[in-house]
Amino acid sequence: MTEVSLLSLVKSYGKSTALKGISLDVGHGEFVSLLGPSGCGKSTTLKCIAGFEDVTDGKILFDSKDISRKLPEDRDIGMVFQSYALFPHMTVARNLAFGLEMRRMARSEIADRVARAMDMVQLTPYADRYPKALSGGQQQRVALARALVIEPAILLLDEPLANLDAKLRDEMRGFIRDLQKRVGITTIYVTHDQNEAMTMSDRVVVMFDGEIAQAAPPEDVYDRPASERVARFVGNANILDLAVADQADAETSLSLPGGGRLAVTGGADAPVSRLRVMARPEQIALTGPGEGHIDGRIAKRYFSGGHVEYHVDTDCGTLNVLCPTTQNVAEGANVGLSFDTRRLWPLPGAAHVTAEPAA
Amino acid sequence: MKRARILMLIAPVAALIFLFIVLPYVTVLMMSFRAPAEGQPYGAGFSVEGYRQFFSQSYYALSLPQTMGLGIVTSLVCLLLGYPVALHIATAPKRWRGLLYGIVLSPLLVGIVVRSYGWTILLGNAGVINTTLRNLGLIERPLPLMYNEFGVVLALAHVFLPFMVLPLLASLQTADPAVRQAARSLGAGRFTVFRRVTLPMSMPGIQSGCILVFVLAISSYVTPALVGGMRVKTTTLLVVDALIDQFQWPFGSAMALTLAVSAGIVVLIFARLTRIRWS
Repeated sequence: MTEVSLLSLVKSYGKSTALKGISLDVGHGEFVSLLGPSGCGKSTTLKCIAGFEDVTDGKILFDSKDISRKLPEDRDIGMVFQSYALFPHMTVARNLAFGLEMRRMARSEIADRVARAMDMVQLTPYADRYPKALSGGQQQRVALARALVIEPAILLLDEPLANLDAKLRDEMRGFIRDLQKRVGITTIYVTHDQNEAMTMSDRVVVMFDGEIAQAAPPEDVYDRPASERVARFVGNANILDLAVADQADAETSLSLPGGGRLAVTGGADAPVSRLRVMARPEQIALTGPGEGHIDGRIAKRYFSGGHVEYHVDTDCGTLNVLCPTTQNVAEGANVGLSFDTRRLWPLPGAAHVTAEPAA
Repeated sequence: MKRARILMLIAPVAALIFLFIVLPYVTVLMMSFRAPAEGQPYGAGFSVEGYRQFFSQSYYALSLPQTMGLGIVTSLVCLLLGYPVALHIATAPKRWRGLLYGIVLSPLLVGIVVRSYGWTILLGNAGVINTTLRNLGLIERPLPLMYNEFGVVLALAHVFLPFMVLPLLASLQTADPAVRQAARSLGAGRFTVFRRVTLPMSMPGIQSGCILVFVLAISSYVTPALVGGMRVKTTTLLVVDALIDQFQWPFGSAMALTLAVSAGIVVLIFARLTRIRWS
């Protein structure tokens, strides 16, 4: 198992900078996802680690050894591509054997390892097929087995599930995750799908504009996002911009439009006049009018099977509320909204750090 | 109803193929079995005299292997010259690709006669190359650059190079670059990637390019006639000679058909040897 460290990685293409100093440590056997919108630098980071892009500045360490100047073929990586990138002119078995042949392994050893790898991804009956004759999911598994059969130091996956249909994608998520745990290989996974990142990873690294916005376990990224942008990217976020009524050490009391108060733990270090807090849709409950923190009116109702999503017009703007289907309210109804105050998250960031000028 | 409409859509192409491919072939086939005659193109009745004439005289019969050899060598030369060009264009930045593409195609803009004459100016005994070498004192007597196989292959390779580069380029460009990256991530160096991945993946392009150049080369008339000066006997030259100069239609037709069938056999053997099982 290998530890990967990125030390202030910079990558520029002429005048534009794709990576503006990425620093990240990935531990032994850890599964880390790089998550972000297209163009955020997540794929570039992966290509730098794989060696397909030269780094402009900074270092990449595998187990404290600097490999940033090594050629891709000397880095001992296993990589799975979005397009699978199987060798179309080789059978499944030959695809798997390729990396082992490059390592000049004995024929019998190669046959042995290939057989085991095919068994691992349940493809033994397809050993002599060409990739064209396999389904997308099967090709995906060949790509995975081909990357793992060489027992590389680290496993890199570049949006491997993007080309699969929804059902298969869910299946493969679990498959990849289980396999990674079983093999115990240090894994870096690139995706733009926040669900994928959160369900699979030990740690999610959210990237915007060539920088890391937050690197934390999925629960933290979801419940305690480092910024409004992270909050909005990793899920549905209701952002309430509220006036500060009272600011104590560990608790901040906020004024609600209807005259009520909302207490949140934490908040800003310095005195501030306003605070932006985030509430996820499932952290808001519907109550009768006047019974919750604020009142509102159901503007839209969307039934999605397991849940009902309501858009509720309030004095704090339109809020998204996600309820179990047992709670059924018609469009146009007046309701109250009750926040799960323990999970309300005051957003750090420049938006609210304006201290009230002494008047 | 649907069938009728499909038939109607196919009809123009079918008519064209029938009129200009099937019918002429049938005519040539029939003509090749007509009896020869003096003073007129062909006589009454049928015979195999045309074929006998061709295969019994080494002057004619040996032109067949000679022509096939010329075609194969021209294909090989085009492949060796064209592959690096195609590889270069396929990996060049997008903005250069159009220009490079144009350069490859540009020879096609000049007529084949002009291009072949161009080669005679370069290769002749009093041509540019020999004169220059003689003036530099490097040679005393002119090098035999034309009126031989060397000159003909050289000129044919030049004329047909675009027909090799284009299919190669097409197959190289359709290959997913990630496949090469995957090979490198598995430990293959640049040369190994070329030998084990890029080259075999471009096999469909190599195949069609070679077949195209081979077929064009063995059936070409102008270039072997001008650069070979009738001293390199290709079957095509002899066919024209028999049909137009000697006015022996059955003999000419028999040679033309023999050439076509032989070419077909060579192409089939080549396709069999380079069979692609994976696509």
